[in-house]
Amino acid sequence: MATRQPAPASTEGLTVIGPHLHVNGRIEGEEDLRIEGRVEGSVSLTETLYVAEGGVVAAKVAARDVVVSGVVVGNVSATNSVTLNAGAKLVGDIATPRLIISDGAAFRGNVAMDGEAPAPAVRTQAARVRPRASVLSRPAAKPVVAPPARPARKAPPAPAPAPARVAVIQASDPDQDEKTIVVRHAALEEKAKTADNKKAGKKKAKKSPPRARVPKPGKRRVGRR
Amino acid sequence: MANTVIGSTIVIDGEITGDEDLVVQGTIKGRVSLRENIVVEESGVLEANIETSTITIHGTVTGDIQASERAELKSNCHVVGDIRAPRILIADGASFKGNVDMEG
Repeated sequence: MATRQPAPASTEGLTVIGPHLHVNGRIEGEEDLRIEGRVEGSVSLTETLYVAEGGVVAAKVAARDVVVSGVVVGNVSATNSVTLNAGAKLVGDIATPRLIISDGAAFRGNVAMDGEAPAPAVRTQAARVRPRASVLSRPAAKPVVAPPARPARKAPPAPAPAPARVAVIQASDPDQDEKTIVVRHAALEEKAKTADNKKAGKKKAKKSPPRARVPKPGKRRVGRR
Repeated sequence: MANTVIGSTIVIDGEITGDEDLVVQGTIKGRVSLRENIVVEESGVLEANIETSTITIHGTVTGDIQASERAELKSNCHVVGDIRAPRILIADGASFKGNVDMEG
């Protein structure tokens, strides 16, 4: 008993799954959990989950904070933060408002940090949708667009596409990344279109010469003669 | 040796296997299979079939217990299930319902 009592006292308030233990199933709780062993199934906590070095978690994880120094395979969702320390290995999707990945950590999967700023996320979606819509609507003004498209990138004086592009830039102003992407997309579309127009023009040009050459079949006539 | 502690608000539903001491303050449902010692604290609840070397129960256990060395039921514990162990200690004040098999 004398040796037994200090151990629970020192780890009071901290649940530990030891290094030689294997839990297969569901773990739920309202306190910190430190995993040094192996856990499969699901882990759901209202506090912090520590996956210690040597700990292996093959489970769906939901907690307030998740601190990984070991291995996690499965989707991780945290209401506050996810921390991947050096030596950590995580394969799965992460959903958290705050994500810290240290040098030496390995991670493969998707990250969703929607919780932090939901408003910008909505705006970026709007910004992504709008340029496509404007691109689609552009063919109506096709003949006018083709020549002034490139100057329009520097200063947008072009009549039809200019308002759409300005609106896009304003909408995506909060996050610079989206802006550049959107502008590039628009530019690419315009290049593609001008190229198409040129091709179309060339085709027409190619078509017309044969008509002009129509007299050449005269050779055949000559041959017939 | 690093003890495994299942804290008082933790609920584990499933299977625990391993090779080290386990202190249960919370709830475990399912199956526990260890080669070391289990201590069920007063707040601990085990609703599981248990295989272990020794088990000391201060809390509540529902399920069959198979201990290769010793099963100890402390006062104020509640145990429902069959116990199979070469040495079984039941303290005054313990509550127990089930069969006892001490032939090992």
